[in-house]
Amino acid sequence: MRYRPIKFSTSANNPGQGVSRVVIATGISSVVVQLVLVREFLAQFQGNEFTIALIFFSWLILGGIGSRLALLASRRQPADINRLAFCSLLLAALAVLEILAIRTLRDIIFLHGAEVGFYPTMASIFLFTAPYGIMNGFLLPYSLYVLRSRYPDYPGARIYLLDSLGDVSGGALFSFILVLWLTPLQAVFLANLPLLVAAVLLFSVKQRIRPLPILATATALALLLLGLLLEHQSLAPLEGQLVHYEESRYGRLTVHQDREQLTIFVDGAPIFSSHNQSLDEETIHFPLSQLARPRTILLIGAEGGMFKEVAKYQPDRVDYLEIDRKLTDIQLDYKLLTPIAGLRIIHQDGRAFLSSTDDRYDAIIINLPEPDTFQINRFYTSEFFRLALDHLQPGGIFSFSVAGFDNYLAEHVRLKISSLYHTAREHFQHVQLLPGNKIFFLCGSLPINTDIPELLRNKNIETSFISGYFSGNITEERLNYLRENLQPDTPANLDTSPFLLQVMFQQWFARFETTPTPFVIVSCLLLLVYLGRCRREELVLFSTGFVIMGSETLVIFIYQILFGYVYEQIGLLVTVFLAGLLPGAWLGERFRHSRNLRQRLLACDVCLMALMAILPLVLTSSGYTLPPLFFLLYGFAISMLCGCQFPLALTLGGGGNPAAARSFSADLIGAACGTLITSLLLIPFLGLIWGAAGLILVKGCGMLALAPRPAK
Amino acid sequence: MKAIDRRTFLWLSAALLARPLTARAGLWPFQEERHEISGEEDIRGAIFKNDAPKTLWKWHKEGFSYDKLEESRVMCNICPNRCMLAPGDRSVCRSKVNMDGTLYSLAYGNPCSVHIDPVEKKPLFHFKPQTTAFSIAATGCNFRCLNCQNWEISQVKPHEVRHYDMFPQQVVEKAREAGAASVAYTYSEATTYFEYMIDTARLAKEAGLANLWISNGFINKEPLLELCKVINAANVNLKSFSDAIYRKLNGGRLQPVLDTFKTLHEQGVHFEMTTLVVPGYIDNPEMIKEMCGWIVANLGPDHPLHFLRFFPHYKLTRLPPTPISTLEHFRKLAMSEGIRYVYLGNLPDHPGSNTYCHQCGKLLIERRGYQLPVNNIKGGLCRFCRTAIPGVWL
Repeated sequence: MRYRPIKFSTSANNPGQGVSRVVIATGISSVVVQLVLVREFLAQFQGNEFTIALIFFSWLILGGIGSRLALLASRRQPADINRLAFCSLLLAALAVLEILAIRTLRDIIFLHGAEVGFYPTMASIFLFTAPYGIMNGFLLPYSLYVLRSRYPDYPGARIYLLDSLGDVSGGALFSFILVLWLTPLQAVFLANLPLLVAAVLLFSVKQRIRPLPILATATALALLLLGLLLEHQSLAPLEGQLVHYEESRYGRLTVHQDREQLTIFVDGAPIFSSHNQSLDEETIHFPLSQLARPRTILLIGAEGGMFKEVAKYQPDRVDYLEIDRKLTDIQLDYKLLTPIAGLRIIHQDGRAFLSSTDDRYDAIIINLPEPDTFQINRFYTSEFFRLALDHLQPGGIFSFSVAGFDNYLAEHVRLKISSLYHTAREHFQHVQLLPGNKIFFLCGSLPINTDIPELLRNKNIETSFISGYFSGNITEERLNYLRENLQPDTPANLDTSPFLLQVMFQQWFARFETTPTPFVIVSCLLLLVYLGRCRREELVLFSTGFVIMGSETLVIFIYQILFGYVYEQIGLLVTVFLAGLLPGAWLGERFRHSRNLRQRLLACDVCLMALMAILPLVLTSSGYTLPPLFFLLYGFAISMLCGCQFPLALTLGGGGNPAAARSFSADLIGAACGTLITSLLLIPFLGLIWGAAGLILVKGCGMLALAPRPAK
Repeated sequence: MKAIDRRTFLWLSAALLARPLTARAGLWPFQEERHEISGEEDIRGAIFKNDAPKTLWKWHKEGFSYDKLEESRVMCNICPNRCMLAPGDRSVCRSKVNMDGTLYSLAYGNPCSVHIDPVEKKPLFHFKPQTTAFSIAATGCNFRCLNCQNWEISQVKPHEVRHYDMFPQQVVEKAREAGAASVAYTYSEATTYFEYMIDTARLAKEAGLANLWISNGFINKEPLLELCKVINAANVNLKSFSDAIYRKLNGGRLQPVLDTFKTLHEQGVHFEMTTLVVPGYIDNPEMIKEMCGWIVANLGPDHPLHFLRFFPHYKLTRLPPTPISTLEHFRKLAMSEGIRYVYLGNLPDHPGSNTYCHQCGKLLIERRGYQLPVNNIKGGLCRFCRTAIPGVWL
């Protein structure tokens, strides 16, 4: 029986409509849950590029496993619409359970307050994500099998299309609505309600009043509601009290009070505390003491206590840049930031602000976390230092700092500071390193005076920490030690070739006395086994999944460099990458009956490779001055081509249930590898241009699978 | 063993799942247990099997104290870990190896950190104030503290760092050149380079330099007694007063450290104690009270105690700093228990870093960081009431 669209009626009469609704609702749920889980893991584990890549990697791999399990399940027993309904209810409930499990078990399995290394993080992400991830991957092909049990010719690509529609809706819903107004468990509740309803509607009218469907529905609903009740309790700290909690578009903000002390945690890490005198003084006085009379000061990231120190110079204007409005609101509400005369708080990305303003400053002071993500690394590159220099008054000073050394300069710290020193020296005539609580870099066109206490005495500025401790901490002997240990041949850190990320990865592994080598070896072996068992069409889809996630990572990386981290625009970019799949899949669906499927698939591959090649070429030839629209169109084009390939490859693979499961798996596993390899290998180690070349190579290898087989 | 039925299994599973959830949500009745159920029970290090180098390098010395056992195995007697090493094995502290039935230290004459520090930085507040200490460290530690400030040298092997070539005689020469009053064995864990430390300390003593031992106190009595013959002062960490926390945060044990304090006290070595107040772990007033009671009962009231403010570091990065009032409360508590000199550290400009006479209560030393704008101790006596102030004074 060939599938024909039927007008909408109840699902019992029309399973096609009912299952379609489930697929779309699953798409919405899965994207929202995925994004909520990303936040959850970042808040519970370390938020570096590795963690981010691992979350997406695990998610996609688990989806691939789920797809394969669906095939096995359908072989054991024919796909059944009631089973699909129960699985959908389970999926809705699992989301809440997983989030609560991450929050509660994190501090049971691992030591409270301690960071967790690579392998425990990976295992946790994989295990905590597994139930939902596998079930999510299971539902998509299983929905197809249910439909095919009624309509044997039901096209697999249509499920792909409906899923993409759900994904786009879920992505847009989360990025532009849920994240702004709701907490994670509220977002999960809302995003899973459509799935709950769609699942209930799958039961026939008779079934709906039977005990088991009622019990399953009630349990799923109860768990979703339970999540709403336990939102705050599940975030309560083990020491002190949780006095404030909210989610901003940039992360989780909590304020913990322990006795009189207030500490703001961003994504689980203590960022600002009420008394941090030593860091406040060093960050402000090391650079400002160099200037005769600093009138205009720009602070990119700052603790509240730093403003008190800045005020001692009586500047005319202090611009404080903090991208997260909610964070500064909290600082002000809890008096962790006391406004001073001339203070202007600007809620904008630091790079975007400097690129758009003509203002010049006597001092630009950067107080940001370590450069262990693409987003933060942008503030430690040669291009940013140039931007800062262009916004300095003649004789002005630019300063930044990184975690340093107490008594021994470890190799990774040595590499980090050497790279930063050479990067800064490309633009500043004088660069002085001061080994305080962190290593401070003071950069300017005039010589830097390292006798900070004397400079402060001359200005009649009183300090608690510097006046007492400087002489014992920053001795001539320690300054010499630092200077002598700078390695002359360390590469500079560039926007397009972020050397520091490599170093930060090394540092992270060193801290936990481990290496990624076993992971790489095991992954490569598993991948080789998998690829060895793949059919030709699956190899194409594997490379397609790889390229779409790889190019998305690459485009977001470039976009942040050029336009700053503008949340809505990044959200739009991600949505565009999902949205392109829709017309692509529709187009592929139209082409799938044509005779020359292989050539069309090949043509898509060639176009994808050409697009990947165009990106670095256009970027370099335009001098990195492309408009945002270019990236939106580019993302759309890439994802459209990828979306078009799925129906073609599926048809080429036979289109049956096994082919569908394998195709979904290949696409997901390819996407998983693309995310991981692009984030952790191609960009940090090869840079932008060679990273794009790497993606072309992967696609090229996929294309080889389409080459005609030699005649026997 | 009786198999559980399906119903019991489900109830047990539900209870197990509910426990952490309710505990976290503040609904579980045994709140004080919440940290105890978190993470590994004991993070102590393990021996590195077959990790010794093929041949010895220049910077080695036969172990100071060890037993030869059957089958060419050896047992190091320096610290309570008492590593039992087969040929080719490396100790927990990473510095000792068994080479064909002989124990060698590979941390001898190869310090990776050499600095000149104010003695107050150790911290030693009652030992020759305002003098400098020629401070050295080789790699290694017998603990695994999650908040280690020097993990890049304490948690690595000797060949994994850049190091100086500085044998004991050269250390003494350099210290004298630098005008230091003392040589400090510090930064990593000095006990793990015991052979280097004791040889240097003997030469330093002969040259008229003082020796300072900055340690976690995890050392056996016999080597400690040898050390006591040459050291002039020590700052020893009393990381907590709970064996469970020692195991959980440091990978160590409490009792051997307490024994060290007793030995130092018996031997008449001037020492000061340091406790880092880690929020959620070492901020229980009852524990601190008990600790101070033990100190007074076993060591007397005169050994200074430093409470340090915790800041996130190394692996312990997801905790807030210690509230200042917690430290102030502990200072009062310790003084009320009878300890005469209690200081607060990592708190710039806090009066808790000043020295007040235990007899007349007047300000003896005002500390502004490493500066001493006021010093009212003359010849080891309070300038106001002539009471002897415990310590070693210039």
